[in-house]
Amino acid sequence: MVANPFVCSFGLIDQGWTHMIPDWEDERAQEVAGRGEIRLTDVSVGYGDDPVLERMTLEVERGEFLCIEGPSGAGKTTLLRLLYGSLPPRSGSAVVDGVDLVQLRPRHVSRFRRRLGCVFQSYELLPHLTARENVLLPLQLAQMAIDVPETRASDALDAVGLADKSASLPGELSGGQQQRVAIARAIAHEPAILLADEPTGNLDPVATAEVMKAFEVFHEQGGTVVMATHDEVLRDRYARRIVRVGRIDPRAA
Amino acid sequence: MDIWPLRYLGTLWSYSWRWQKRRLSTWVVTAIVLGAVLSVAAAVQLVVWVSERSLAGQLQSASEMQVFLDDGATADQQAALQTKLAAVPGVSRVDFRSKAQAAARATRDPQLAPLANASQGNPFPASFVLRMQNPGVAPRVLRAVAGDPALDRKIPASYTAAQAQQLNSALGAMKFVAGALDAVALGVGAIVALALLRAEIRARRDELRILTLVGVPRAVIRVPLLFQVISLALAGSAVAVACLLYMGHSVIPAIDSSLPFLRLGDPSPAFGTLSVATLAASCMALIPCALLVRLPR
Repeated sequence: MVANPFVCSFGLIDQGWTHMIPDWEDERAQEVAGRGEIRLTDVSVGYGDDPVLERMTLEVERGEFLCIEGPSGAGKTTLLRLLYGSLPPRSGSAVVDGVDLVQLRPRHVSRFRRRLGCVFQSYELLPHLTARENVLLPLQLAQMAIDVPETRASDALDAVGLADKSASLPGELSGGQQQRVAIARAIAHEPAILLADEPTGNLDPVATAEVMKAFEVFHEQGGTVVMATHDEVLRDRYARRIVRVGRIDPRAA
Repeated sequence: MDIWPLRYLGTLWSYSWRWQKRRLSTWVVTAIVLGAVLSVAAAVQLVVWVSERSLAGQLQSASEMQVFLDDGATADQQAALQTKLAAVPGVSRVDFRSKAQAAARATRDPQLAPLANASQGNPFPASFVLRMQNPGVAPRVLRAVAGDPALDRKIPASYTAAQAQQLNSALGAMKFVAGALDAVALGVGAIVALALLRAEIRARRDELRILTLVGVPRAVIRVPLLFQVISLALAGSAVAVACLLYMGHSVIPAIDSSLPFLRLGDPSPAFGTLSVATLAASCMALIPCALLVRLPR
């Protein structure tokens, strides 16, 4: 393990900093129990005094393609926020990718997120960085791509069909292309779970097909996909299982 | 040799620079405003410093009181008076000044020189020169030695109790005003700088949120903020130091030549201290913003 000179200077600010590349690489090297799985048992979550999801139970196995559906305000985004550690569970048990969210301390949230891939409706790309930098820089800043080949960003862009757009700024790309860059960013560090919140909500049918193809590729390689959407066509075509927020409706594809 | 720390630092620096370059115009405006505020604070500091030095000089001369001796006072009487003076609370030192020494000083004093040159003999009395903690001690001295046979009966001391009180009050008021001006300037500077920086941080919240969402550690997210505030503090301080040098080399000499009775003097000894203090004060005001800014969970 490499001695880290930054631990002393930054350790007081954020204890999470001490979880450096070697830890991440160690985690990747070993198969963590529950990797790629989601286990929610009687979980309640909400904002302030307003409960959104009450006593929800959900189990997702590794390699599933799950759609979360429900009307606006039903709690789809809230559920995803719970899954990527943005909202702490109020009660119950929640284990995502082998990490117990009930025990997850705020200072470890960033480390937990580095285990996941997240895609959002509004792409969430940094506008002043090129597509390749958008994929690579978060990995570098998160210290995940220091010791890995920088070609990983190019490989991820290639996987979503945007190898020729790696030098383009987000503003120069279409909505579908931007979303695919976001997917490349989400999968570049090879997570076991990909969370997507209305990833095609702003896209036309052609762009939607391109984006969903990228999800399918990730899924075919053994990844778990959890996607919130209100698009019934999309849901029926891609989902292996559908979860209506608040109640579970297993369904054969 | 493993160089990843260097590569990582390079990546952070590069990102921080690009982060800042994107909003360079805002940064420049912020730096100029911050520089202007710091310049005002530094200029006030400089004026306060030279004024305090000038006041200190006046205070020192004002705190030097002379108790004049009668020409016929004997050595024993003088010794008894010296003992009495030294025992007065607030008197830190008592020195004897002979008639010859007084005459010699008078010839060097522009106001007393004509009298010294025109007089036959030596009209200047011997005296005890008292160093007091402040001019307010003078009334106690005068009370303590009233009626002493060694005292000059016509003019027992260099100033009266009432004059001493007035001088003491005036000097106290001037020091208070200087201190208040100093505090107000620093306070306004800190508030303006904080407001500007918070606005800048608000403008970048989307970016901070994205970095948080993709799992960048919070300490790393703060690095560009730190980079920005330190660069702002450096730029603002550079403007303030330039202003300080201009004040010191042009404005204060001009004031001295126009109003010679002020005697503000050479401010250059204060440049180094004030420059470092300006940079330190701006960093101390700005860096906490970068460290304490609330990041989305």
